[in-house]
Amino acid sequence: MTPRSRRAPVVAVIALLAVAVVALAPTVYSAVRPPKFDYRITKLENGLTVVLSEDHSTPIVHVALWYRVGSKNERPGRTGFAHLFEHLMFKGSKNVPPEEHLSFISGVGGDGNAYTTEDTTVFLQTVPSQYLPLVFWLEADRMATLRIDQRTLDAERDVVKEERRWRYENEPFGLLSELLYDRAFTAHPYKHTPIGSMADLEAASIEDVREFFDTYYVPENATLIVVGDFETDNALQMVEHYFGRVPKAKRPVPREIPREPPRESEQRVTLEADNWPLPAVVIAHHITYDGHPDAYPLHIASKVLSDGQSSRIYRRLVYDEQLAVAAFGQGNIIEDPNLFYAVAIIPPGKTPSEAEAALIEELDKLKNEPITDEELQRSKNQFARDYVIGRFTNSQKAAHLAHAAVIHDDISTADGEFDIFMNVTKEDVRRVARTYFNDENRLVMTILPRGSSAGLSGAR
Amino acid sequence: MIRTASVLAVFGVLSLASVLPASAQRVQWPREDPPPPLLAPDVKFPDYELRRLDNGLQVVYVGAHEQPAVNVRLLVRAGTSSDPTVKPGLAAMTAQLLDQGTTMRGAQEIAQTIDSIGGAMAVGAGTDLSYVNVLVLKDSFDLALDMLSDVARNPAYAQTEVDRQRQQVLSEMQVSYDDPAYVSSIVFGRLVYGAHPYGMPQNGTPQSLMRITRNDLIEFHRNHYLPNNAILAVVGDVSAEEAFAGVARALSDWPRGVLPTPDLTEQPPPSNRLVIVDKPGAVQTAVRVGHLALPRAHPDYLALDMAVKILGGEGGNRLGSVLRTDRSLTYSASAEMAGRQFAGDFMAQTDTRSSATAEVLRLTVDEISRMQRERVSRRELRRAKDYLAGHFPLTIETPNAIAAQVLEAILFGLDLDDLERYPERINAVTEDDIQRVAREYLKPGLLSMVLVGDASTFVNDLSGVGFDSYELVPITELDLSTADFMIAREVAQRVRQ
Repeated sequence: MTPRSRRAPVVAVIALLAVAVVALAPTVYSAVRPPKFDYRITKLENGLTVVLSEDHSTPIVHVALWYRVGSKNERPGRTGFAHLFEHLMFKGSKNVPPEEHLSFISGVGGDGNAYTTEDTTVFLQTVPSQYLPLVFWLEADRMATLRIDQRTLDAERDVVKEERRWRYENEPFGLLSELLYDRAFTAHPYKHTPIGSMADLEAASIEDVREFFDTYYVPENATLIVVGDFETDNALQMVEHYFGRVPKAKRPVPREIPREPPRESEQRVTLEADNWPLPAVVIAHHITYDGHPDAYPLHIASKVLSDGQSSRIYRRLVYDEQLAVAAFGQGNIIEDPNLFYAVAIIPPGKTPSEAEAALIEELDKLKNEPITDEELQRSKNQFARDYVIGRFTNSQKAAHLAHAAVIHDDISTADGEFDIFMNVTKEDVRRVARTYFNDENRLVMTILPRGSSAGLSGAR
Repeated sequence: MIRTASVLAVFGVLSLASVLPASAQRVQWPREDPPPPLLAPDVKFPDYELRRLDNGLQVVYVGAHEQPAVNVRLLVRAGTSSDPTVKPGLAAMTAQLLDQGTTMRGAQEIAQTIDSIGGAMAVGAGTDLSYVNVLVLKDSFDLALDMLSDVARNPAYAQTEVDRQRQQVLSEMQVSYDDPAYVSSIVFGRLVYGAHPYGMPQNGTPQSLMRITRNDLIEFHRNHYLPNNAILAVVGDVSAEEAFAGVARALSDWPRGVLPTPDLTEQPPPSNRLVIVDKPGAVQTAVRVGHLALPRAHPDYLALDMAVKILGGEGGNRLGSVLRTDRSLTYSASAEMAGRQFAGDFMAQTDTRSSATAEVLRLTVDEISRMQRERVSRRELRRAKDYLAGHFPLTIETPNAIAAQVLEAILFGLDLDDLERYPERINAVTEDDIQRVAREYLKPGLLSMVLVGDASTFVNDLSGVGFDSYELVPITELDLSTADFMIAREVAQRVRQ
């Protein structure tokens, strides 16, 4: 993504919303139900999954191509490679000169972008609807015939290093994820974040590029999602024409990922970091994967803790006790088991240990007593709101369809999750809290500004 | 990413000839040109309705019925540009406290009410406006209007909430003042706009926040939050009649008032000035370069905006080509206009590894200079126009995006008919127009330049690329209220000739 706007204060971005406390307003069940998706899903002979969903409200079309490869598919010594490769996909293919992919897109008024996560690499474009064939042609051309030389690799590696400096190293608190995941994981590649390390970026070779492309950038590892102003039958013919000729992979896509062993005792870490203006406390617990029945009550738990000014962590730590400038708790619920973590940024005059105690108390409370009926209903109404406002644009719709098709391997969850959420009970929330928010499964991390004396912190 | 035709052709041929396919496998693949477009559909700016209540409140309605949600947005025509000179941050704090308690509801009740229906409320201030934004599912539309009316009209500004908010913003500032992106943008603003409120950070400064009293907040609210100084938009899944009837019910008894006269402080004329904010240990330098440009409603805004987009925006971006594509010096380089009510600026921005700072500053200034000096090619302008005109249907995808364009036009006094005519207005701009506005408004010899980074890694390189004088401010001594940006006056300003 390109930074375009002048930046808002960092803490404003970290802090989810603003303030408040207990109250008297009656909770109402919202009777509103969002509409269901209308889509067709099919698979080409070469293995490419195709999802088409018409929306004629605006004469534009969004095309997303999801490759099921991310930083968790990287091997040791090659961290950051999936993301580096995402950049290389813009460096030209048989019919498209280097850097011209996005020029073709912007030349017709469209927008293009790409991103890499732990699980996926995603290429996006939105164009006026008459240019749908152009997008198919561009994406198929690079899926079949990407071209890379040493000079291009070296040049793009330098760009990615600048991205790492800009997003993570030079930004206050920018290394939070990296510090957290490096300590929270021992075996699973979630131990490293998608940006990777400088040393590993340096080590990437042209042979790595070739192997990665042949292994992962194959039709059976890709899902094409098209949402917008087109006729499904016509679009499917075009998909067949442009993508049908991409050859099938010669070998299956490897899927073995090292598993993370269960935790046996609480881990506590205190460290100092650069670019760290105020102390921070993180409480992290290992949880389950996206799609597991426990995942839905965990989402509700994060809403009870952190969605809105009346949520528990905000109300207590930021508003009432002012132990934190910003604080939240949320699950990172993705393809493989990941973390539920609570974070507090500590203002001058307060200490990390006060915030730590408060956060742990709030997590324990979820185990020891059921949330209130009011909290359960509020969380469901907030979920319904997120669901509705997350489906305004073609690209939002495509992201939900793709997530269901790729991560859940079941596109029906794009609609079906609504009822699963609506049926979560207070007991479900308590059950998952008891399952995961245990002492032996806990990592407590205190991160202090460089130069603070350990143990003191806070009041400076 | 954009080159002239001949260079592009040569570059394309050479690079294709010299690279190998990434795949070890041989793929049968045709050599072919991109496919032609399908039949282009008609694009019209979507329907909207405008009315005005008797008390002067303007109301915009944009219907959208796919998703069962309604957004209600109130814009008050007073933002940080209305801050008193000695109290920057007043408009922002006035707005931030709107939902922290009213004469009808406490802060906790407001939060509880909004959260329990699955709604969301946001309040805040920009340079020329303050806002209350309430989003709800459609069955809570009336409640949304009641809540919006209450927080906009009856904020209590309880002393405890004022103190809490002030403390919160001060703590956030402690983080922001360590963020090169934030520091560079506020120093740039001060350089460009001088003592005008546009030149101060929207949230104020640590010093100015301490000076803001409860009475200041009450007075700012009383003077500016008036129906005849506001615009309300209802966007989403209600009918026009429901929308207007609901607004009339909730807001027609809001009494009109006498509008304050705007502060028309002149901005200083552009002058060449390079300020380095020294942040030892920084691995990158934030580079910001630009100067005063045009207010949003100026007749030359469209053409100058296009020139700046060729310099650093979508559909163009010479800076991106020079700094990223050709030299791998940055992840991102761009330039943009900020068009405000009384003034505006243009700013080029990029971030680069510390050791490349001087080179990047030189290249950035050179591109601004080239934009001012050389006529753009027909092809380059064509590309920019193709992007901007072609992009039009993407700008009307959501009802909120449609409403935002209508609100912007009303707020800045633009011709509403221009919304529909945007593609033709873009296509009417010529190379002569671009050359005229670039010569008239770009002043490469009078640039405000800000570098935030580890000065020790690049100051010695600056004179070698033509920057002989600069001012150096340690980040721990940064003070926006002084002429030299330093807290302590006696700290000598280090100017090297």
